[in-house]
Amino acid sequence: MIKAVNVTKIFPGRLGPIRAVDKVSTDVARGEVVVVIGPSGSGKSTFLRCINGLETFTDGHIIIDGVDLADRRTNMNNIRAEVGMVFQQFNLFPHKTVLENLTLAQCRVRKRSRKVAEEKAHSLLRKVGIPEKAGEYPSRLSGGQQQRVAIARALAMDPKVMLFDEPTSALDPEMVGEVLDVMKQLAREGMTMVVVTHEMGFAREVADRVIFMDEGRVVEVGTPEHFFTNPTEERAKLFLKQVL
Amino acid sequence: MNATEKTWPWVVLLAVILIGVSAATWGAIAKIDYQWRWYRVPQYFFYLAEEAEKTPADGRVTTVVRNGKNSTVTLAAENGEKLQWQVESGSLRVAEGEEMFAGDTIGFTSHWRLGPLMYGLWTTLWLSAVSSFFALILGLITGLARVSKNFTLRGLAAVYVECIRGTPLLVQIFIAYFFLGTVFNLSRNVCGIGALSLFAGAYVAEIVRAGIQSVAKGQSEASRSLGMNVFQTMWDIVLPQAFKRILPPLSGQFISLIKDSSLVSVIAITDLTKAGREIITSTFATFEVWLVVAAMYLLVTSLLSQVVYYMERRFSISD
Repeated sequence: MIKAVNVTKIFPGRLGPIRAVDKVSTDVARGEVVVVIGPSGSGKSTFLRCINGLETFTDGHIIIDGVDLADRRTNMNNIRAEVGMVFQQFNLFPHKTVLENLTLAQCRVRKRSRKVAEEKAHSLLRKVGIPEKAGEYPSRLSGGQQQRVAIARALAMDPKVMLFDEPTSALDPEMVGEVLDVMKQLAREGMTMVVVTHEMGFAREVADRVIFMDEGRVVEVGTPEHFFTNPTEERAKLFLKQVL
Repeated sequence: MNATEKTWPWVVLLAVILIGVSAATWGAIAKIDYQWRWYRVPQYFFYLAEEAEKTPADGRVTTVVRNGKNSTVTLAAENGEKLQWQVESGSLRVAEGEEMFAGDTIGFTSHWRLGPLMYGLWTTLWLSAVSSFFALILGLITGLARVSKNFTLRGLAAVYVECIRGTPLLVQIFIAYFFLGTVFNLSRNVCGIGALSLFAGAYVAEIVRAGIQSVAKGQSEASRSLGMNVFQTMWDIVLPQAFKRILPPLSGQFISLIKDSSLVSVIAITDLTKAGREIITSTFATFEVWLVVAAMYLLVTSLLSQVVYYMERRFSISD
């Protein structure tokens, strides 16, 4: 599904170039849930943003469903329509109602009729548990509700992969659960997911594979059991000691 | 209730200051012995115009029927045609049976007409409206170019904005009229509108640029991540949010444009200001006319402010 080969991202920093992502290679199979963890500044979010082209990468290849993002002829808009993204700050469109947030890209990109798009939107709002908020503006919703709308908005495009960039980090603690529940449900339904998160409980429960990154490099890869109970690398052990 | 008790002394102070300033002005005017002639002003808003009704052909007046204020005059022309006029009874110049020659006056009619101040106001309004329209388009394009990734576009926009903002509007109007107008054979109205649009466009561009940059980066990222292209993202997501924010400075710019349009009077466009100057040359009522002209500008700009205020409230629903 996703194949990353030696992905490298170099930012021009003030004190010389910074290798934000350094030769990251990984494969994500269809239906697999991959959780990327690591300390802040480890390049995990940057790597995630490279997968849907929000960041360009300096070197390497990311191949999604046989299409190479490094190829200059690749139409990034088509790729992004197939790759859903959920942001830390929700990024709902504040000037549009919840329903319009869900239908806009369906109509513009997927060329669906308004009626079809709205039916899809309503069924997704039922799925994330807030069917009654369709007519509201995002500012009237709690953080957890906004993030669930953001997930529904991404799902409305029928993506092949969903990317989550620290989806619960900006939430009040009591709202984290409702968002994680939606994500768990998605994982059970067989959605291919790449999740950058600090929620170790979620990683342990849902992940098929855990990738631990530090300083732009993949330090350790493994199943949750292996990673949380018996990590090989010193850096991973130290990190786990700090967060658990 | 506490609040009102505390504000009344300030209201009184405000009133005292305003009355004081007025009294001082009044005193100063009284010293120079200025003759106020306010009665001369209204005719420049509306006036009763008399028009002579003249016969186009020779003939004889057959009947003159008086019915109160107006009279109906019927004339049998030499070629057999029957002509009829309605004129004011007091202004009748003919009697029944009279022989008339082509061009003779039958009588007069009078109509209310718009005076030069109203025509001037109209010119100012349409000049400002047309210039605002072009300025908005120009500003939008330039503003988008300012935030574009393309170096050439960015450079062009920056040069335009800097040149316009770094030179006085009056000089730009002179250049537009005496230089460009002569070279390309343009009318004074085209030059005036062109200069005003280019001038306001540069300022609108900066407002648009600031508005676009004020929309959080996450908004366009979210839109792009859904597969929407650059134009869809701009049109559906960024510009509507930017527009809401730039409405106050934008309306300020258009209000400025109405005021700045007074400068086109230097290239002999008869706007409100030029109309005022022309009236002064025939009345010498300098103080009255300028005060009236200022009040008319103030009226227009305050009305516009009110409209914008209403629009702002409408747009803030989603906040």
